[in-house]
Amino acid sequence: MSRLLAVAFVLVAVGGLAALSGVPWAAEPSSAAVIRLAWRARGERVQRCRRRSADELARLPVHMRQEEVCERGIIPYRLRVTINDSLTVNELVRAGGAESDRPLFVFDELPLPPGTYRLSISFDREEDPDHKKAGSADEESDRRETDVLRQTPPHLTLDSVVTLQPRTIVLVTYDDEGRALRLLAGPQFGP
Amino acid sequence: MRSLQNVTWRLFARADAAMNRLYGWRFNPLYHSGALVVALFLVLLATGVVLLFFYRLGAPYESVAALTAQPWLGRWLRGLHRYASDAAVVAVVLHALRMFAQGRSWGPRALAWITGLVLVFVTLICGWTGLVMVWDVPAQVLAREGARLFDVLPIFAEPISRAFVGERPIPGAFFFLNLFAHIALPIGIGLLVWLHVSRVARAGLLPPRVLMWAVIGLLFGLALAWRAPLGPPADLFQAPGRAPYDAFYTLWLPLSRALPAGVVWLLTIAGGAVLLAIPWWARPAKRAEPPKSVVDESICTGCEQCYIDCPYEAIAMIARPGGTEGGRSALVGHVTPELCVSCGICAGSCAPMGVGPAGRTGRDQLAAIRAFIAARPLGARDVVVVACDRGAGGIVHDPAPGVRVWPISCAGNLHTSVVELLIRAGAGGVLVAACPPRDCWNREGAKWTEQRLFHDREAELQERVDRRRVRLIFAAAGDRAIVAAALREFQTEITVLAGVGAAEPDADVVRECDTAPTPS
Repeated sequence: MSRLLAVAFVLVAVGGLAALSGVPWAAEPSSAAVIRLAWRARGERVQRCRRRSADELARLPVHMRQEEVCERGIIPYRLRVTINDSLTVNELVRAGGAESDRPLFVFDELPLPPGTYRLSISFDREEDPDHKKAGSADEESDRRETDVLRQTPPHLTLDSVVTLQPRTIVLVTYDDEGRALRLLAGPQFGP
Repeated sequence: MRSLQNVTWRLFARADAAMNRLYGWRFNPLYHSGALVVALFLVLLATGVVLLFFYRLGAPYESVAALTAQPWLGRWLRGLHRYASDAAVVAVVLHALRMFAQGRSWGPRALAWITGLVLVFVTLICGWTGLVMVWDVPAQVLAREGARLFDVLPIFAEPISRAFVGERPIPGAFFFLNLFAHIALPIGIGLLVWLHVSRVARAGLLPPRVLMWAVIGLLFGLALAWRAPLGPPADLFQAPGRAPYDAFYTLWLPLSRALPAGVVWLLTIAGGAVLLAIPWWARPAKRAEPPKSVVDESICTGCEQCYIDCPYEAIAMIARPGGTEGGRSALVGHVTPELCVSCGICAGSCAPMGVGPAGRTGRDQLAAIRAFIAARPLGARDVVVVACDRGAGGIVHDPAPGVRVWPISCAGNLHTSVVELLIRAGAGGVLVAACPPRDCWNREGAKWTEQRLFHDREAELQERVDRRRVRLIFAAAGDRAIVAAALREFQTEITVLAGVGAAEPDADVVRECDTAPTPS
């Protein structure tokens, strides 16, 4: 009896190990499709400058008394997603990094029931009159020109009608070479 | 904390008793959980090295799928690797719970507890990287979840999640780094294991061979019979559907995915902090802490036995202060209090009774046993059960009728002179009930006691003591039936011996102890 129990326990333990090693589970259980927005944008570098007051300057050590102080950063963009005339996403996309000088990253996933949708996306630079272009020294001009060429355009739009199959993911991304948003319904790269 | 420890311990006591009945204490896997982890780690290393030759960074899923389809080599090799890693998690959890339940986490044992927790964490991360290597649907979900968690930390210039959006192929660097981590982490595990056992002497790193090969054989059989799970290939343009997830490494996944990344980090840090703080919570109040061992240098003969027997390397032999005047030994034992867990095993190892925790030295034990005898003289049919108060079927806390029980904190603490004194005082027999050797809360108490009683280990039971009147049994806290059966059998034998010639009270041993040098 004891031996039978010993063997039975071993079988249960081994069976349990095998069962728990591959527990069936669906990370996304619904049949919803997904519109995935994912891109990286290079915004325009700007700075907001102001002059320090006499009091402020007096409080600073002599070697730090710089009259003009500037906060640098990247101009944020506003992302708007309209699906079948309903504004689904309306958010400000700010640059990352402690000084907001990293590229802008968009990542959002919109689950939708399978079907056909009219999709409209805009990605617009949020202009601020207080901002001015970063850097004023002549030696920076070449670099700024290069920056401008690589910058994401101030306005990007995508208007499309998409048909979403169950559990499929459609990707909206930014094409750096075409300088436009584009829609991918599957891998567009080779093996 | 205490009540949680007690509840966990009661559960373990029952499980131990059940396992002892099924497999005997020698092969009870619960007693060898830590050593089983090391054995399984070696299996993982061996199978992992071979698997490495079949894995292709450029086609991870295809290479794993091809391997799994190979009936002769790949299938069982991958299966053994997978199931051994799962079994290692089970053993790790049991080992940690056992140490917690037994209160073996504070004081000098805190280092083992903390490194053990780090080991658990590193093992889980290593398992994570191993599952991601396969690059099936669960791998994709794990990779994306990991990226989501890391993206909230301000350490990466660009979000890692971008690698998994489908805009471009998964960078080869990702699979390379993942593979690198999967190989490098076991090296860290090896170092951590060394640190984990660095404060114990004669660490038992491997289980008994029979048990080890039985476990490996079972896992091998499972790998042959049941293909290791492999989900559909990862597809960044398909919502991850139903797939087989390894519960041992991904149990947290449903909760994690439902929570914001910052909250997951907070919960992880809070949970980790609670576990790391257990040594401080489990530590008894200062006044309740058991006293550390002390060496009485006036008695110490420098024989080194306490230094050899100490399971925690808490005793060193140092030059005798004051020199060797009067023919004294050049060396003398010295206890490092920070390393001493107060097990009292040194007290049992010292023939002249010159070392041990206050109240539990050989001399203290003799004084207590004299009072025990004086309270009620022993008869020729009486059996005295000297029982470890943590095991021995709980007989200390619930004595059987007609049996005289003398509790002791650990069988290894018992000085053999106590046994001799009991026999000479007229007891028919002495039954020493120790915990099973691999279950000794103080590691080697049961082993040394057996050698001192029956194999002439230093501080041995004197030859003049009739061994028929001395019995040693191993019984865990839940093994009441084992103690009862052994007691019945021993009592029968003692009755027969009593008919042949009763043990007579003998004052010699009392005199010998009285004439031993007194502590200065």
